[in-house]
Amino acid sequence: MNQRDVSPDATLVTRLLQKDVSSFEQLYDRHSRIVYALVLRILQQASTAEEVVQDVFLQLWRNAAHYDPSRGPFVPWLLTLARNRALDHLRLKSERQRRREDQAEELPPVASAPDYEKALDEKRRAERVRALMTSLAPQQKRAIELAYFEGLSHSEIAAALKEPLGTVKSWIRNGLLRLKEGLQATT
Amino acid sequence: MKICDQFRELIQAYALGALDAEDRAAFEAHLATGCSDCAKTVEEARWLVSQLAYLAPEATPPDMLKGRLMQTVREEARQPRIAAPSKTGIPFWMWAGVAALVVLSLYSALEAGRLRVEIHDANERAAAILRERQQLQEQLAVAKREAMIVTDPASVKIPLAGQDPQAPQLEAKWHSQLGICVMGHNVPMPAANRVLQLWLIPKAPGAKPMPSMTLRPDPDGKLVLLVSNPPESMSETKALAITEEPEGGSLQPTTTPRWVGGVG
Repeated sequence: MNQRDVSPDATLVTRLLQKDVSSFEQLYDRHSRIVYALVLRILQQASTAEEVVQDVFLQLWRNAAHYDPSRGPFVPWLLTLARNRALDHLRLKSERQRRREDQAEELPPVASAPDYEKALDEKRRAERVRALMTSLAPQQKRAIELAYFEGLSHSEIAAALKEPLGTVKSWIRNGLLRLKEGLQATT
Repeated sequence: MKICDQFRELIQAYALGALDAEDRAAFEAHLATGCSDCAKTVEEARWLVSQLAYLAPEATPPDMLKGRLMQTVREEARQPRIAAPSKTGIPFWMWAGVAALVVLSLYSALEAGRLRVEIHDANERAAAILRERQQLQEQLAVAKREAMIVTDPASVKIPLAGQDPQAPQLEAKWHSQLGICVMGHNVPMPAANRVLQLWLIPKAPGAKPMPSMTLRPDPDGKLVLLVSNPPESMSETKALAITEEPEGGSLQPTTTPRWVGGVG
Protein backbone atom coordinates (compact mmCIF):
# COMPACT_ATOMS: atom_id res chain seq x y z
CA MET A 1 0.00 0.00 0.00
CA ASN A 2 1.25 3.48 -0.71
CA GLN A 3 0.46 6.65 1.20
CA ARG A 4 -2.38 7.77 -1.03
CA ASP A 5 -5.14 6.36 1.13
CA VAL A 6 -4.49 6.07 4.84
CA SER A 7 -8.15 6.39 5.80
CA PRO A 8 -9.49 4.43 8.77
CA ASP A 9 -11.13 2.08 6.27
CA ALA A 10 -7.82 1.34 4.56
CA THR A 11 -6.21 0.60 7.93
CA LEU A 12 -9.08 -1.66 8.97
CA VAL A 13 -9.04 -3.56 5.68
CA THR A 14 -5.31 -4.10 6.04
CA ARG A 15 -5.91 -5.63 9.47
CA LEU A 16 -8.48 -7.98 7.95
CA LEU A 17 -5.61 -9.70 6.21
CA GLN A 18 -4.51 -10.88 9.68
CA LYS A 19 -8.10 -12.06 10.31
CA ASP A 20 -8.68 -9.35 12.89
CA VAL A 21 -12.32 -9.81 13.96
CA SER A 22 -12.48 -6.42 15.67
CA SER A 23 -11.53 -4.62 12.44
CA PHE A 24 -14.24 -6.52 10.60
CA GLU A 25 -16.81 -5.49 13.19
CA GLN A 26 -15.75 -1.84 12.89
CA LEU A 27 -16.04 -1.96 9.09
CA TYR A 28 -19.49 -3.51 9.44
CA ASP A 29 -20.60 -0.85 11.91
CA ARG A 30 -19.29 1.94 9.65
CA HIS A 31 -20.83 0.80 6.39
CA SER A 32 -23.57 -1.80 6.90
CA ARG A 33 -26.35 0.81 6.82
CA ILE A 34 -25.58 2.16 3.35
CA VAL A 35 -24.82 -1.34 2.02
CA TYR A 36 -28.11 -2.68 3.40
CA ALA A 37 -30.05 0.34 2.13
CA LEU A 38 -28.60 -0.11 -1.37
CA VAL A 39 -29.23 -3.87 -1.51
CA LEU A 40 -32.75 -3.49 -0.09
CA ARG A 41 -33.53 -0.80 -2.68
CA ILE A 42 -32.44 -3.17 -5.45
CA LEU A 43 -34.07 -6.35 -4.18
CA GLN A 44 -37.13 -4.84 -2.44
CA GLN A 45 -37.29 -7.76 0.00
CA ALA A 46 -35.76 -7.67 3.49
CA SER A 47 -34.96 -11.36 3.87
CA THR A 48 -33.18 -11.57 0.50
CA ALA A 49 -31.39 -8.30 1.16
CA GLU A 50 -30.07 -9.67 4.46
CA GLU A 51 -28.78 -12.76 2.66
CA VAL A 52 -26.95 -10.66 0.07
CA VAL A 53 -25.52 -8.23 2.64
CA GLN A 54 -24.24 -11.20 4.63
CA ASP A 55 -22.65 -12.55 1.45
CA VAL A 56 -21.03 -9.17 0.71
CA PHE A 57 -19.44 -8.82 4.14
CA LEU A 58 -18.30 -12.45 4.21
CA GLN A 59 -16.73 -11.84 0.81
CA LEU A 60 -14.93 -8.87 2.33
CA TRP A 61 -13.80 -10.98 5.30
CA ARG A 62 -12.56 -13.85 3.16
CA ASN A 63 -11.10 -11.85 0.26
CA ALA A 64 -9.87 -8.60 1.79
CA ALA A 65 -6.63 -9.00 -0.15
CA HIS A 66 -8.53 -8.26 -3.36
CA TYR A 67 -9.04 -4.67 -2.28
CA ASP A 68 -5.97 -2.50 -2.92
CA PRO A 69 -6.22 0.78 -0.96
CA SER A 70 -3.60 2.39 -3.19
CA ARG A 71 -5.88 2.14 -6.21
CA GLY A 72 -9.03 3.78 -4.85
CA PRO A 73 -11.19 4.46 -1.81
CA PHE A 74 -12.88 1.61 0.03
CA VAL A 75 -16.53 2.64 0.17
CA PRO A 76 -17.10 2.88 -3.61
CA TRP A 77 -15.43 -0.52 -3.96
CA LEU A 78 -17.71 -2.00 -1.30
CA LEU A 79 -20.82 -0.37 -2.77
CA THR A 80 -19.93 -1.68 -6.23
CA LEU A 81 -19.46 -5.16 -4.79
CA ALA A 82 -22.84 -4.92 -3.04
CA ARG A 83 -24.61 -3.61 -6.15
CA ASN A 84 -23.11 -6.37 -8.31
CA ARG A 85 -24.18 -9.06 -5.85
CA ALA A 86 -27.70 -7.67 -5.56
CA LEU A 87 -28.12 -7.31 -9.33
CA ASP A 88 -26.74 -10.83 -9.84
CA HIS A 89 -29.38 -12.04 -7.43
CA LEU A 90 -32.06 -10.09 -9.24
CA ARG A 91 -30.88 -11.34 -12.60
CA LEU A 92 -30.63 -14.98 -11.53
CA LYS A 93 -34.08 -14.76 -10.01
CA SER A 94 -35.66 -13.37 -13.12
CA GLU A 95 -33.38 -15.39 -15.43
CA ARG A 96 -32.94 -12.37 -17.62
CA GLN A 97 -29.72 -12.12 -19.55
CA ARG A 98 -28.52 -8.63 -18.91
CA ARG A 99 -24.97 -7.54 -19.52
CA ARG A 100 -23.31 -5.17 -17.17
CA GLU A 101 -19.89 -3.68 -17.42
CA ASP A 102 -18.49 -5.62 -14.45
CA GLN A 103 -20.75 -8.62 -14.37
CA ALA A 104 -18.16 -11.24 -15.22
CA GLU A 105 -15.76 -10.24 -12.49
CA GLU A 106 -15.79 -11.82 -9.08
CA LEU A 107 -14.80 -8.58 -7.38
CA PRO A 108 -15.29 -4.98 -8.52
CA PRO A 109 -12.77 -3.13 -10.67
CA VAL A 110 -11.02 0.02 -9.57
CA ALA A 111 -13.02 3.17 -8.89
CA SER A 112 -10.64 6.12 -8.71
CA ALA A 113 -11.74 8.97 -6.52
CA PRO A 114 -11.61 12.34 -8.27
CA ASP A 115 -9.89 15.29 -6.62
CA TYR A 116 -13.18 16.67 -5.31
CA GLU A 117 -13.95 13.44 -3.41
CA LYS A 118 -12.64 14.76 -0.12
CA ALA A 119 -14.43 18.13 -0.39
CA LEU A 120 -17.41 16.78 1.54
CA ASP A 121 -17.74 14.14 4.22
CA GLU A 122 -19.86 11.10 3.39
CA LYS A 123 -23.05 12.41 4.98
CA ARG A 124 -22.92 15.77 3.21
CA ARG A 125 -21.96 14.17 -0.07
CA ALA A 126 -24.98 11.85 0.24
CA GLU A 127 -27.24 14.88 0.80
CA ARG A 128 -25.66 16.63 -2.17
CA VAL A 129 -26.13 13.58 -4.42
CA ARG A 130 -29.82 13.38 -3.46
CA ALA A 131 -30.33 17.10 -4.03
CA LEU A 132 -28.61 17.05 -7.41
CA MET A 133 -30.55 14.04 -8.60
CA THR A 134 -33.83 15.52 -7.40
CA SER A 135 -33.10 18.58 -9.51
CA LEU A 136 -33.22 16.43 -12.68
CA ALA A 137 -36.41 15.98 -14.67
CA PRO A 138 -38.40 13.08 -13.18
CA GLN A 139 -38.05 10.89 -16.29
CA GLN A 140 -34.31 11.58 -16.45
CA LYS A 141 -33.86 10.63 -12.80
CA ARG A 142 -36.02 7.55 -13.38
CA ALA A 143 -33.83 6.46 -16.31
CA ILE A 144 -30.69 6.63 -14.18
CA GLU A 145 -32.39 4.78 -11.33
CA LEU A 146 -33.54 2.01 -13.69
CA ALA A 147 -29.95 1.56 -14.84
CA TYR A 148 -28.39 1.70 -11.40
CA PHE A 149 -30.93 -0.06 -9.19
CA GLU A 150 -32.42 -2.50 -11.72
CA GLY A 151 -29.46 -3.08 -14.03
CA LEU A 152 -31.34 -2.15 -17.21
CA SER A 153 -29.54 -1.25 -20.43
CA HIS A 154 -30.23 1.79 -22.62
CA SER A 155 -32.64 -0.09 -24.87
CA GLU A 156 -34.41 -1.76 -21.95
CA ILE A 157 -34.91 1.61 -20.29
CA ALA A 158 -36.19 3.11 -23.56
CA ALA A 159 -38.72 0.29 -23.77
CA ALA A 160 -39.72 0.63 -20.11
CA LEU A 161 -40.23 4.39 -20.36
CA LYS A 162 -41.58 4.32 -23.94
CA GLU A 163 -39.06 6.96 -24.97
CA PRO A 164 -36.66 7.07 -27.97
CA LEU A 165 -33.33 5.34 -27.42
CA GLY A 166 -31.37 8.50 -28.21
CA THR A 167 -33.33 10.45 -25.62
CA VAL A 168 -32.57 7.88 -22.94
CA LYS A 169 -28.86 7.91 -23.81
CA SER A 170 -28.78 11.71 -23.53
CA TRP A 171 -30.71 11.69 -20.26
CA ILE A 172 -28.30 9.27 -18.63
CA ARG A 173 -25.12 10.87 -19.93
CA ASN A 174 -26.19 14.44 -19.19
CA GLY A 175 -27.64 13.46 -15.80
CA LEU A 176 -24.40 11.86 -14.68
CA LEU A 177 -22.35 14.77 -16.02
CA ARG A 178 -24.60 17.14 -14.07
CA LEU A 179 -24.06 15.08 -10.95
CA LYS A 180 -20.31 15.23 -11.52
CA GLU A 181 -20.35 18.98 -12.08
CA GLY A 182 -22.53 19.48 -9.03
CA LEU A 183 -20.14 17.54 -6.82
CA GLN A 184 -17.16 19.35 -8.36
CA ALA A 185 -18.79 22.67 -7.57
CA THR A 186 -18.56 21.89 -3.85
CA THR A 187 -14.78 22.17 -3.92
CA MET B 1 -7.36 15.32 -20.71
CA LYS B 2 -7.64 13.98 -24.19
CA ILE B 3 -10.45 11.52 -24.59
CA CYS B 4 -11.15 9.73 -27.83
CA ASP B 5 -14.08 11.67 -29.22
CA GLN B 6 -15.96 8.74 -30.66
CA PHE B 7 -16.15 7.07 -27.24
CA ARG B 8 -16.63 10.16 -25.11
CA GLU B 9 -20.40 9.69 -24.98
CA LEU B 10 -20.21 6.06 -23.87
CA ILE B 11 -18.02 6.34 -20.80
CA GLN B 12 -20.64 7.35 -18.21
CA ALA B 13 -23.12 4.71 -19.37
CA TYR B 14 -20.36 2.09 -19.51
CA ALA B 15 -19.49 2.71 -15.87
CA LEU B 16 -23.19 2.53 -15.03
CA GLY B 17 -23.50 -0.79 -16.87
CA ALA B 18 -26.21 0.60 -19.16
CA LEU B 19 -24.58 0.10 -22.56
CA ASP B 20 -26.25 -2.34 -24.91
CA ALA B 21 -24.12 -5.24 -26.12
CA GLU B 22 -23.00 -3.62 -29.37
CA ASP B 23 -21.88 -0.33 -27.82
CA ARG B 24 -20.30 -2.17 -24.96
CA ALA B 25 -18.31 -4.47 -27.24
CA ALA B 26 -17.08 -1.52 -29.30
CA PHE B 27 -16.01 0.41 -26.22
CA GLU B 28 -14.29 -2.57 -24.63
CA ALA B 29 -12.45 -3.22 -27.86
CA HIS B 30 -11.24 0.39 -27.69
CA LEU B 31 -10.14 -0.06 -24.06
CA ALA B 32 -8.31 -3.23 -25.09
CA THR B 33 -6.10 -1.11 -27.31
CA GLY B 34 -4.65 0.39 -24.14
CA CYS B 35 -6.17 3.88 -24.23
CA SER B 36 -5.04 5.18 -20.85
CA ASP B 37 -7.13 8.36 -21.05
CA CYS B 38 -10.37 6.45 -21.46
CA ALA B 39 -9.35 3.88 -18.82
CA LYS B 40 -8.68 6.64 -16.32
CA THR B 41 -11.97 8.36 -17.10
CA VAL B 42 -13.83 5.08 -16.67
CA GLU B 43 -12.29 4.64 -13.22
CA GLU B 44 -13.48 8.09 -12.17
CA ALA B 45 -16.89 7.46 -13.68
CA ARG B 46 -17.15 4.29 -11.58
CA TRP B 47 -16.61 6.39 -8.48
CA LEU B 48 -19.34 8.79 -9.60
CA VAL B 49 -21.75 5.91 -10.29
CA SER B 50 -21.07 4.45 -6.83
CA GLN B 51 -22.40 7.69 -5.33
CA LEU B 52 -25.86 6.81 -6.69
CA ALA B 53 -26.14 4.36 -3.79
CA TYR B 54 -27.06 7.35 -1.63
CA LEU B 55 -30.34 7.62 -3.54
CA ALA B 56 -31.52 4.49 -1.74
CA PRO B 57 -33.91 5.22 1.14
CA GLU B 58 -32.12 4.96 4.46
CA ALA B 59 -32.49 1.56 6.12
CA THR B 60 -30.96 -0.17 9.11
CA PRO B 61 -30.00 -3.85 8.96
CA PRO B 62 -31.44 -6.01 11.75
CA ASP B 63 -29.18 -6.66 14.73
CA MET B 64 -29.49 -10.39 14.16
CA LEU B 65 -27.70 -10.02 10.82
CA LYS B 66 -24.65 -8.66 12.56
CA GLY B 67 -24.93 -11.42 15.17
CA ARG B 68 -24.95 -14.13 12.51
CA LEU B 69 -22.06 -12.54 10.62
CA MET B 70 -19.92 -12.13 13.70
CA GLN B 71 -20.59 -15.73 14.74
CA THR B 72 -19.41 -16.97 11.33
CA VAL B 73 -16.41 -14.66 11.30
CA ARG B 74 -15.31 -15.66 14.80
CA GLU B 75 -15.60 -19.33 13.88
CA GLU B 76 -13.52 -18.83 10.75
CA ALA B 77 -10.94 -16.74 12.62
CA ARG B 78 -10.40 -19.66 15.00
CA GLN B 79 -9.84 -22.11 12.19
CA PRO B 80 -6.39 -22.68 10.69
CA ARG B 81 -5.62 -20.54 7.68
CA ILE B 82 -6.51 -22.14 4.38
CA ALA B 83 -4.29 -21.28 1.47
CA ALA B 84 -5.97 -19.30 -1.28
CA PRO B 85 -6.96 -21.45 -4.22
CA SER B 86 -4.33 -21.59 -6.89
CA LYS B 87 -4.99 -19.81 -10.13
CA THR B 88 -4.23 -23.07 -11.83
CA GLY B 89 -7.68 -24.16 -10.65
CA ILE B 90 -9.24 -21.98 -13.33
CA PRO B 91 -10.21 -24.08 -16.33
CA PHE B 92 -7.67 -24.05 -19.12
CA TRP B 93 -10.27 -23.14 -21.71
CA MET B 94 -10.96 -19.92 -19.86
CA TRP B 95 -7.33 -18.84 -20.09
CA ALA B 96 -7.24 -19.98 -23.68
CA GLY B 97 -10.24 -17.79 -24.34
CA VAL B 98 -8.51 -14.79 -22.81
CA ALA B 99 -5.37 -15.45 -24.81
CA ALA B 100 -7.42 -15.70 -27.96
CA LEU B 101 -9.02 -12.40 -27.12
CA VAL B 102 -5.65 -10.70 -26.83
CA VAL B 103 -4.46 -12.05 -30.17
CA LEU B 104 -7.66 -11.16 -31.93
CA SER B 105 -7.66 -7.69 -30.37
CA LEU B 106 -4.45 -6.97 -32.20
CA TYR B 107 -5.87 -8.31 -35.41
CA SER B 108 -9.33 -6.78 -35.24
CA ALA B 109 -10.73 -4.60 -32.45
CA LEU B 110 -14.26 -5.43 -33.45
CA GLU B 111 -13.65 -9.16 -33.41
CA ALA B 112 -11.99 -8.88 -30.01
CA GLY B 113 -15.01 -7.10 -28.63
CA ARG B 114 -17.35 -9.82 -29.82
CA LEU B 115 -15.16 -12.53 -28.34
CA ARG B 116 -14.98 -10.75 -25.03
CA VAL B 117 -18.76 -10.71 -24.78
CA GLU B 118 -18.78 -14.46 -25.34
CA ILE B 119 -16.19 -14.95 -22.62
CA HIS B 120 -18.28 -12.87 -20.27
CA ASP B 121 -21.20 -15.19 -20.93
CA ALA B 122 -19.02 -18.24 -20.30
CA ASN B 123 -17.70 -16.69 -17.09
CA GLU B 124 -21.23 -16.02 -15.94
CA ARG B 125 -22.18 -19.63 -16.45
CA ALA B 126 -19.00 -20.87 -14.77
CA ALA B 127 -19.54 -18.57 -11.80
CA ALA B 128 -23.13 -19.76 -11.43
CA ILE B 129 -21.99 -23.40 -11.48
CA LEU B 130 -19.30 -22.71 -8.89
CA ARG B 131 -21.78 -20.95 -6.63
CA GLU B 132 -24.21 -23.84 -6.93
CA ARG B 133 -21.46 -26.36 -6.16
CA GLN B 134 -20.37 -24.39 -3.12
CA GLN B 135 -23.95 -24.25 -1.85
CA LEU B 136 -24.32 -28.01 -2.30
CA GLN B 137 -21.05 -28.65 -0.47
CA GLU B 138 -22.18 -26.44 2.39
CA GLN B 139 -25.52 -28.23 2.55
CA LEU B 140 -23.76 -31.59 2.56
CA ALA B 141 -21.44 -30.50 5.37
CA VAL B 142 -24.41 -29.34 7.45
CA ALA B 143 -26.28 -32.60 6.80
CA LYS B 144 -23.23 -34.66 7.81
CA ARG B 145 -22.84 -32.69 11.00
CA GLU B 146 -26.52 -33.08 11.85
CA ALA B 147 -26.26 -36.83 11.27
CA MET B 148 -23.19 -37.08 13.53
CA ILE B 149 -24.94 -35.19 16.32
CA VAL B 150 -28.07 -37.33 16.05
CA THR B 151 -26.25 -40.68 15.95
CA ASP B 152 -23.38 -40.06 18.38
CA PRO B 153 -24.07 -41.77 21.74
CA ALA B 154 -22.32 -38.85 23.46
CA SER B 155 -25.12 -36.50 22.41
CA VAL B 156 -27.65 -35.55 25.11
CA LYS B 157 -31.29 -35.93 24.13
CA ILE B 158 -33.54 -33.00 25.06
CA PRO B 159 -37.30 -33.40 24.41
CA LEU B 160 -38.97 -30.07 23.68
CA ALA B 161 -42.61 -30.17 24.78
CA GLY B 162 -45.11 -28.01 22.92
CA GLN B 163 -46.91 -25.51 25.15
CA ASP B 164 -49.96 -25.92 22.91
CA PRO B 165 -51.41 -29.44 23.36
CA GLN B 166 -51.92 -29.62 19.59
CA ALA B 167 -48.27 -28.86 18.84
CA PRO B 168 -45.98 -31.80 17.99
CA GLN B 169 -43.13 -32.59 20.35
CA LEU B 170 -39.70 -31.57 19.09
CA GLU B 171 -36.41 -33.13 20.01
CA ALA B 172 -32.97 -31.61 20.38
CA LYS B 173 -29.66 -33.41 20.63
CA TRP B 174 -26.71 -31.56 22.11
CA HIS B 175 -23.17 -32.73 21.45
CA SER B 176 -20.51 -30.89 23.40
CA GLN B 177 -18.19 -30.60 20.39
CA LEU B 178 -20.50 -30.73 17.36
CA GLY B 179 -23.35 -28.48 18.48
CA ILE B 180 -27.11 -28.69 18.84
CA CYS B 181 -29.54 -30.24 16.37
CA VAL B 182 -33.27 -29.56 16.79
CA MET B 183 -35.70 -31.73 14.82
CA GLY B 184 -39.44 -32.04 14.42
CA HIS B 185 -42.24 -33.07 12.10
CA ASN B 186 -45.65 -31.58 11.33
CA VAL B 187 -44.49 -28.25 12.73
CA PRO B 188 -47.06 -25.51 11.99
CA MET B 189 -45.78 -22.78 9.66
CA PRO B 190 -45.34 -19.41 11.41
CA ALA B 191 -47.30 -16.44 10.09
CA ALA B 192 -45.90 -14.50 7.13
CA ASN B 193 -42.81 -12.47 8.01
CA ARG B 194 -42.41 -14.52 11.22
CA VAL B 195 -39.81 -17.15 12.05
CA LEU B 196 -39.10 -19.65 14.79
CA GLN B 197 -36.13 -18.73 16.98
CA LEU B 198 -34.17 -20.95 19.38
CA TRP B 199 -33.16 -19.60 22.80
CA LEU B 200 -30.71 -20.95 25.37
CA ILE B 201 -31.96 -20.25 28.89
CA PRO B 202 -28.96 -19.85 31.25
CA LYS B 203 -28.93 -21.37 34.74
CA ALA B 204 -27.49 -18.21 36.28
CA PRO B 205 -30.22 -16.35 38.21
CA GLY B 206 -31.35 -13.24 36.36
CA ALA B 207 -29.39 -14.06 33.20
CA LYS B 208 -31.25 -13.24 29.99
CA PRO B 209 -32.07 -15.87 27.35
CA MET B 210 -29.35 -16.17 24.72
CA PRO B 211 -30.66 -15.69 21.15
CA SER B 212 -29.72 -18.38 18.67
CA MET B 213 -30.66 -19.40 15.14
CA THR B 214 -33.93 -18.68 13.33
CA LEU B 215 -35.70 -20.74 10.71
CA ARG B 216 -39.02 -21.78 9.22
CA PRO B 217 -40.14 -25.40 8.75
CA ASP B 218 -40.26 -26.68 5.18
CA PRO B 219 -43.62 -26.87 3.37
CA ASP B 220 -44.12 -30.42 4.72
CA GLY B 221 -43.70 -29.23 8.29
CA LYS B 222 -40.25 -30.74 8.71
CA LEU B 223 -37.94 -28.74 10.93
CA VAL B 224 -34.19 -29.27 11.25
CA LEU B 225 -32.05 -26.63 12.94
CA LEU B 226 -28.30 -26.88 13.44
CA VAL B 227 -26.48 -24.68 15.92
CA SER B 228 -22.88 -25.41 15.12
CA ASN B 229 -21.39 -23.18 17.79
CA PRO B 230 -23.55 -22.90 20.93
CA PRO B 231 -22.46 -19.79 22.86
CA GLU B 232 -22.75 -21.48 26.29
CA SER B 233 -21.64 -24.86 27.51
CA MET B 234 -24.31 -27.40 28.40
CA SER B 235 -23.63 -27.20 32.14
CA GLU B 236 -24.48 -23.49 32.17
CA THR B 237 -27.77 -23.91 30.31
CA LYS B 238 -31.01 -24.69 32.09
CA ALA B 239 -33.31 -25.13 29.11
CA LEU B 240 -33.88 -24.67 25.41
CA ALA B 241 -36.91 -22.76 24.20
CA ILE B 242 -38.40 -21.85 20.83
CA THR B 243 -40.48 -18.75 20.23
CA GLU B 244 -42.07 -17.14 17.21
CA GLU B 245 -40.33 -13.87 16.30
CA PRO B 246 -40.31 -11.27 13.52
CA GLU B 247 -38.26 -12.15 10.46
CA GLY B 248 -34.58 -11.64 11.20
CA GLY B 249 -34.98 -12.73 14.82
CA SER B 250 -34.96 -10.80 18.10
CA LEU B 251 -32.39 -10.02 20.72
CA GLN B 252 -34.85 -10.93 23.47
CA PRO B 253 -37.98 -13.11 23.22
CA THR B 254 -41.06 -11.10 22.28
CA THR B 255 -43.55 -13.98 22.54
CA THR B 256 -44.28 -16.82 24.93
CA PRO B 257 -42.24 -19.95 24.12
CA ARG B 258 -44.05 -22.49 21.94
CA TRP B 259 -41.64 -25.28 22.90
CA VAL B 260 -39.50 -25.73 26.01
CA GLY B 261 -37.16 -28.51 27.10
CA GLY B 262 -34.95 -28.81 30.19
CA VAL B 263 -31.25 -29.51 29.72
CA GLY B 264 -29.80 -32.24 31.89
